Amino acid sequence: MSAPSDAAAAVDTPAPTTAAASSSGGFTFKLHPLVIVNVSDHHTRVKAQAACSGDSSSSSSGAGAGQPPRVFGCVIGVQRGRTVEIFNSFELVLDPVSGTLDRAFLEKKQELYKKVFPDFYVLGWYSTGSDVHDTDMQIHKALMDVNESPVYLLLNPTINLSQKDLPVTIYESELHVIDGSPQLIFVRSNYTIETVEAERISVDHVAHLKPSDGGSAATQLAAHLTGIHSAIKMLNSRVRVIHQYLVAMQKGDIPMDNSLLRQVSSLVRRLPAMESQKFQDDFLMEYNDTLLMTYLAMFTNCSSTMNELVEKINTSYERPTTRRGGRGAFM
Amino acid sequence: MESLEALVAHIQGLSGSPEEVAHLHSLLKQADGEPLRAHAAALVPFLAHLSPETHSLGYLYLLEACATSGSNLSDFGGGDFLVTIAGFLTACSADQIRLAPDKFLNVCRVLKDQVMQLIMPIRGIAPLRAAVRKIQSSPEQLTPVHADYLLLCLLAKQYKAGLSVLEDDIFEVEQPKDLFLYCYYGGMIYIGLKKFPKALELLHNAVTAPMSMLNAIAVEAYKKYVLVSLIVNGQVPSFPKYTSVSAQRSMKNHAQIYVELSTSYSNGRYTDLETFVQANSAVFQSDNNLGLVKQVLSSMYKRNIQRLTQTYLTLSLEDIARSVQLETPRDAEMHVLRMIEDGEIHATINQKDGMVSFHEDPEQYKSVEMLEHIDSSIQRLTALSKKLASIDENMSCDPAYLMKTGRDRGRFDGRFDYDDYDSVPHKYF
Repeated sequence: MSAPSDAAAAVDTPAPTTAAASSSGGFTFKLHPLVIVNVSDHHTRVKAQAACSGDSSSSSSGAGAGQPPRVFGCVIGVQRGRTVEIFNSFELVLDPVSGTLDRAFLEKKQELYKKVFPDFYVLGWYSTGSDVHDTDMQIHKALMDVNESPVYLLLNPTINLSQKDLPVTIYESELHVIDGSPQLIFVRSNYTIETVEAERISVDHVAHLKPSDGGSAATQLAAHLTGIHSAIKMLNSRVRVIHQYLVAMQKGDIPMDNSLLRQVSSLVRRLPAMESQKFQDDFLMEYNDTLLMTYLAMFTNCSSTMNELVEKINTSYERPTTRRGGRGAFM
Repeated sequence: MESLEALVAHIQGLSGSPEEVAHLHSLLKQADGEPLRAHAAALVPFLAHLSPETHSLGYLYLLEACATSGSNLSDFGGGDFLVTIAGFLTACSADQIRLAPDKFLNVCRVLKDQVMQLIMPIRGIAPLRAAVRKIQSSPEQLTPVHADYLLLCLLAKQYKAGLSVLEDDIFEVEQPKDLFLYCYYGGMIYIGLKKFPKALELLHNAVTAPMSMLNAIAVEAYKKYVLVSLIVNGQVPSFPKYTSVSAQRSMKNHAQIYVELSTSYSNGRYTDLETFVQANSAVFQSDNNLGLVKQVLSSMYKRNIQRLTQTYLTLSLEDIARSVQLETPRDAEMHVLRMIEDGEIHATINQKDGMVSFHEDPEQYKSVEMLEHIDSSIQRLTALSKKLASIDENMSCDPAYLMKTGRDRGRFDGRFDYDDYDSVPHKYF
């Protein structure tokens, strides 16, 4: 395991390390959104700091000119049998000279986290970039003494609008025989996203508080209402589909499916969810309040149109009373 | 010029389909004029040959020639002719008569004059109501017949009959005089029905309608407007900015007494108001407004009692009587009771100790009716808003407006880099 030759080999032949083969390990990976948020936050911070301070100094370690610097850190979680669940992550500093992670820091952090989360172990590490780097295998091997089979989480910070899935890939290391010699290469693994209720709320919150034009109250309200509108539209179309299905079943075009009918019937029976006089009163009061607000908004709208109209009529047809010097009444 | 018989034959023959009617129309136009009128006396028997529904256009021409021929209608057997006209108006076909609207209007006017001459306005109501509906191209259009119809309703004191015509919102007006008369008479009808808010609306329209010179109808309307707004609101609002300039300047001068009445009203003392009214009753009488003024007087009590609700939570009947300057607590009780029934205040009278306690508006906005009410208001408002937007657009393309704004803008071309839609007016000098 001679590092220089490995590095040389890696430099010369980048192909083996980046052969994105699929894993056959049989591990199921579950990723929590907190990790993704952490990594992206780390990356953004470093990028912002580099942009501020690194205008003059272009010698950033390992980063090409114009490319954002890579960030590194550890991921921690729980491994139960074949399921690996990644809960959290923390940042690490990569020593630019030797290309290794700061071990002392790692151990200290590990201890601290152990105190708070006794179940969590260091499961692997993360980094950012568009693809697996040659030096990554080094770091990966270095971590092998902490965890015998670490995972490598790669986040791609380049924003690709056409891409629908998350730009996160999880790699495992496997021993493959290539060109006669066994080598460790990264193989891609599938993963699922797993959320706890608290995470869902916070992710939602973060996602919605950042509209592109710097959400004022009006755009937030508009975004909120658009969300509700699309949700209701979707509900409406789904209900319509069920309705059509039932009508077709009634006519006899489709064979009767009793289990489906039972499901539909139970769905229908779920409403109304609440039946009491107090609920009715409160509901109607709120409904009337919303209607009144709409009414008021429309009134204001109408009044302003009316005002403009009156101004126009006054300018065109009335003899000006106090206006002098061609001061027009522009609305 | 064809003979009458030929003409009648044409009418009978060519009243089938719309193309034939158009042809007939051109024929009639040729035959129209003095020659036809000269034969007026001879026309009447021919009318019997024609039926008003199918031969409406021809009937109309002949009828109009008779009616405007200048000779006394009693020649035609006065009352019968009226019946003929009335029959025609109710039975005619709307499409055909719309081809000759001015003739139709002439006929209607003749009817109205006749009816007023005979001092039997009630006879003209039904035919004219039918006529209004027939000549309107849409329910939103105002025609001269509206004004005549309302006048007849007023004279005959058949206020409810006028309601059907008044309920439509008017959006198109051709002759300004029609609008003034319509608003004035309409206001009077609503006053007769004691629907003061609606009367206020119509009179307001009459007062604020665009006019280049002050006209008498508007002045009369203003007098009534002052009185009705005192009854409804307790005060006379100042002129809104869409009132014409001529109105703003000179209206008050012509209605001086009424302005003084409104100032005296706002002082809130019943006895002062009463003396003022007594002193000027002759003037009010000559304007035919004395009845309305008396109603203003009685509304004074209501205003004062309403003012009390804002200060007190409970009050005894004697105190009410004293502060409102009524004679006995009995009167006070009656007034308060009537106001509670009309929904003008919310209160309960405790008869045992003679105390009245005032409440808040009990409307909780919890009911489905309120929901529907608000919903329908929103719908109405949406429709109105669309109309307003289209009128606004039309106005922006109006040549007079463009000329005025273009002229101003042209003067400063090149001097200012000006944003047309700047909403803050700038001083140029």
